[in-house]
Amino acid sequence: MASLETALTSRLPEEAASWFRQALHKVRAKGEATDAFLIMWSGASRRLGQAPIGAPSDDEKKLPFFPVGWGADEFGRTLLLQGALAARLPEAHAALINELFVTGDLRERQAVLRALPHLPAPERFVAVGVEAVRNSAVPVLEAIACENAYPARHFPEEAFNQLVLKCLFCEVPLARVVDLARRVTPELRRMVEAYASERRAAGRSVPADIALVLG
Amino acid sequence: MRLFDPHIHMTSRTTDDYQAMAAAGIAAIVEPAFWLGQPRTHVGTFEDYFLSLVGWERFRAQQFGIRHYCTIALNPKEANNPQVAGGVLALLPRYLEKDGVVAVGEIGYDDQTPAEDEAFVAQLELARAHKLPVLIHTPHRDKLRGTERTIDLLRAHGFPPELALIDHNNELTLPLVLDAGCWAGHSIYPATKMDEPRMVSLVQQFGGEKILVNSAADWGVSDALKVPKTAAAFAAAGIPEADIETICWKNPVRFFGQSGRLDLAEVAPVVDQRELFEGNSVLRGQSPRVDR
Repeated sequence: MASLETALTSRLPEEAASWFRQALHKVRAKGEATDAFLIMWSGASRRLGQAPIGAPSDDEKKLPFFPVGWGADEFGRTLLLQGALAARLPEAHAALINELFVTGDLRERQAVLRALPHLPAPERFVAVGVEAVRNSAVPVLEAIACENAYPARHFPEEAFNQLVLKCLFCEVPLARVVDLARRVTPELRRMVEAYASERRAAGRSVPADIALVLG
Repeated sequence: MRLFDPHIHMTSRTTDDYQAMAAAGIAAIVEPAFWLGQPRTHVGTFEDYFLSLVGWERFRAQQFGIRHYCTIALNPKEANNPQVAGGVLALLPRYLEKDGVVAVGEIGYDDQTPAEDEAFVAQLELARAHKLPVLIHTPHRDKLRGTERTIDLLRAHGFPPELALIDHNNELTLPLVLDAGCWAGHSIYPATKMDEPRMVSLVQQFGGEKILVNSAADWGVSDALKVPKTAAAFAAAGIPEADIETICWKNPVRFFGQSGRLDLAEVAPVVDQRELFEGNSVLRGQSPRVDR
């Protein structure tokens, strides 16, 4: 039977797989200190590597989600985070997510953002997702904006509009924004039109994918 | 020839520097955590500084095709500030676990006080716990004595000399450092510390084994291109190319490679700035660089 855990470990060298199984066992144990979790989370990347996770097997297609294109580190960190939340009272969850994001390096921040839609009651963590759009490191922006169902599901309108504009500014293709069409509003159209006229006035090209918003 | 600047404080430098460094062949750098010219007054500002070393600065360097590593530590000068010292030491276990952190540093002596001794020893223990080498600053005032004390302290604590890079050497300290079995760094500066002609003489006398050169460029009068300039001075003095490559590339790779976190495959990344062009990134309107 495929599980998310075996989906990861079956793609890892034995040493990394064994490290991960032990780490997951520890985070699931009640009472594991947050400091110890933070250190384990930070060290996970160099143990798991960053190789992209390939396509799922037929069996794996039945899993709750499958992280095609994520790094092994991002997938592993997501599973560790799910385990850590399950071992904690719900009132501690938002603080832990915030701590991981705020004190994370680039890859750690990416992992938090990719994990968001796969966490329990994810609407509680919307402030972290919105804050991520204010960051200027493009890989971190992509982690929240691209192939991620979270913004369309949970962002308030103003924040979602900012995400779309930020993608245009950073030349992140709008086709990668999940469920964009469902979140297009008159206000978003106005903002994108204004962006296009600003570009034209400056003699610059206008990205073709504004059509995904303007229709 | 690819070059490695194993000690440069890029948070204080501009994108012009990154551009010039990349054009001069610098493919990898180590940015050690240090002081910022004036004393910090809160532990939180150290944490934000560490975060910029593993976050924004790493991203900034990548856009110019330069692989950015860092070292993390409580520096010796601020080890003397009881308002921050304990709190910063307490932050280190988390930050020392992060990707791209290739040593504990800069540690060592500044005024050579008991507080500096204490922070030095505590951080040697952290280096052991996190399986990292150490980057050791030597003081500008009373340097020879500070270097002797550094070597004595490493010995007293049984710290493996091959895991220690002692930095900012001169003609008087280099022989001691090499005799102790440590790696020896040299900061090539426009006016103070070490200069290119003196560095040429040192290499002619001592060879290239365990010798490193760096720019130690920061917020003061310094030059981010001192590694390529020193490599050129070596070549002009007839030092064999193989030795220059040892000093300016292989030795930093060997030393920091002991961390297990310096992946050589990452060291010459393919640059593609297109995705950042016009973005809220460091490129502001100039043509993005694309490597094929």
